Amino acid sequence: MEPDNLVLQPRDVQFDWSTLPMHWVPDEPVTTHVMNVLHLLLPEGERWFVRTFQQAVPLISDDTLREDVLGFIGQEAMHAEAHSEVLDHLLANGLDPRPFTRQMEHVFQRILAPRPGLSEEQARDQLLERVAIVAAIEHFTAYLGDWMLNADALDKAGIHPVMLDLLRWHAAEEVEHRSVAYDLMCHLDRRYVRRARTMLLVAPVLFWLWVRGARFMVHADKSTRVRLTWREFMRASRRGLLPRLSEIFRAFLRYFHPAYHPKQEGSTAQAIAYLASSPAAREAH
Amino acid sequence: MLSGLTRFGSLYDAAVTRFGGRARPGVARDALWLNVVERSQVADGVVSLRLGGPALPAWQPGCHLDLHLPSGLRRQYSLCGDPGEDTYRIAVREVGAGSREVQALRVGDRIQVRGPRNAFPFAGLGPVVFVAGGIGITAILPMVHAAARAGLDWRLVYCGRSMAAMPFLDELPVGHVDVRIGRGGALLGDASPRGAVYCCGPASMLDQVRAEFSSRWLHFERFSPPPIVDGRPFTVELRRSGVSLDVPADRSALDVIRDFRPSVAYSCRQGFCGTCDVGGVRICVDRPTGDRLVLEEL
Repeated sequence: MEPDNLVLQPRDVQFDWSTLPMHWVPDEPVTTHVMNVLHLLLPEGERWFVRTFQQAVPLISDDTLREDVLGFIGQEAMHAEAHSEVLDHLLANGLDPRPFTRQMEHVFQRILAPRPGLSEEQARDQLLERVAIVAAIEHFTAYLGDWMLNADALDKAGIHPVMLDLLRWHAAEEVEHRSVAYDLMCHLDRRYVRRARTMLLVAPVLFWLWVRGARFMVHADKSTRVRLTWREFMRASRRGLLPRLSEIFRAFLRYFHPAYHPKQEGSTAQAIAYLASSPAAREAH
Repeated sequence: MLSGLTRFGSLYDAAVTRFGGRARPGVARDALWLNVVERSQVADGVVSLRLGGPALPAWQPGCHLDLHLPSGLRRQYSLCGDPGEDTYRIAVREVGAGSREVQALRVGDRIQVRGPRNAFPFAGLGPVVFVAGGIGITAILPMVHAAARAGLDWRLVYCGRSMAAMPFLDELPVGHVDVRIGRGGALLGDASPRGAVYCCGPASMLDQVRAEFSSRWLHFERFSPPPIVDGRPFTVELRRSGVSLDVPADRSALDVIRDFRPSVAYSCRQGFCGTCDVGGVRICVDRPTGDRLVLEEL
């Protein structure tokens, strides 16, 4: 009994970061910083999702899909704000994330911005390509969201409760709205070739940005001498604190299956159950 | 390294624009046409309709249906039957033109619908208290049955003006049901502080529940944004479009602009998400101090 027909609603969440330690997975600086990359990428990335989808709204000719897209936009906007508050907290505690976030501004505000001087038809086509890029990224956020909701090792490791709530709230909403970007792409262009080529573009770039981001964070953190190495990453993923690379690769391959639909990733019922018990989401009415 | 990515981005965009081929749009999902297969009076002023059709989509407690009425009005009604049945049931109290039109439907009439959609999902975790006011029982009834079936610790407080005006009294499962005439006293007197509360009823009831329950585990359904109180009428001027629109006291700038341009982006309609922001103005809630609001970018 999967409720796949949810009306998506943004939630007005608040998080209190005053007690967040630098290594919020205790004694796990590498795990902490690999996950901190979320805070580096997401605020700019999700604001770009919002701008892209706002431009796409007038192209939608399906009332239900339009409602879904508007709910998606509101949820993504709230995610961006919540994650950028963590960046403010890091800065106030002596870890300056700005050299990296400035690069993300360049990626999402320049490279991925609409290009000037295009004809109407070309501009529209470019927008569709951007929507397909979002759909490919959302496949990974749905995979990671599902992983995060089920990663019991994080609870056992004693992760800071407010951060765990932020991550699981975000994860649950990613699972909740995992079909929207894909459905929008198919509504505007259902060709397999666009789906496949944008995933081939997104996966390596995302992986590369993640590695760079994690390396940047570990270097910028003056309170630890640990370095980011494959051995450290493998150790954390074996403990269940990070997703396994082999699982991520399998998720990447699933996107190419002709019968793929995001509904097959994760469980809406589980997401709803988390949102019904999340401290931040419960306060959000 | 960013210069490399920038160059790659330009090349990629140029290649896609040149060789990307023509987009093939998907087909819009059609609205459903259903037949009225049963009509009955279930309480004073309340009519229940069963709608049937081939292969109805599945639904869960909390789902509603959008009815597209022949007059052009659209109304949303909670599904209040059993998710296992092969028809949809709604119950409608007469409150205005839309509900009068729905009540006038007869067996055999056809009606266009969209959905079902769920804006009020029931997480199915106990202990749980359900609070229903009048016709609000329609959204709550399938949840109560689901809770009873799942063996949860549940109770129901169901308020109405009179027994004759309260539908489905005869369908409530056996258990902790508290039927009240009128609304005096606490609604959640014995609610578990760790339990969930699901409420559907008039705004005054929701206010009382929120006052009693400090909102920790409270779930309620909102078909529309919170009503505007103390609003003053004003004029919104859309500079780029070159039009001025009048915004009445009980509507937002967004409501009025949507009538003019349906594709305007918005989301939460409560002022927190910022999706509808136009040059620093959140048009879903912001009102000018004077009688004129100027939006340069619309």
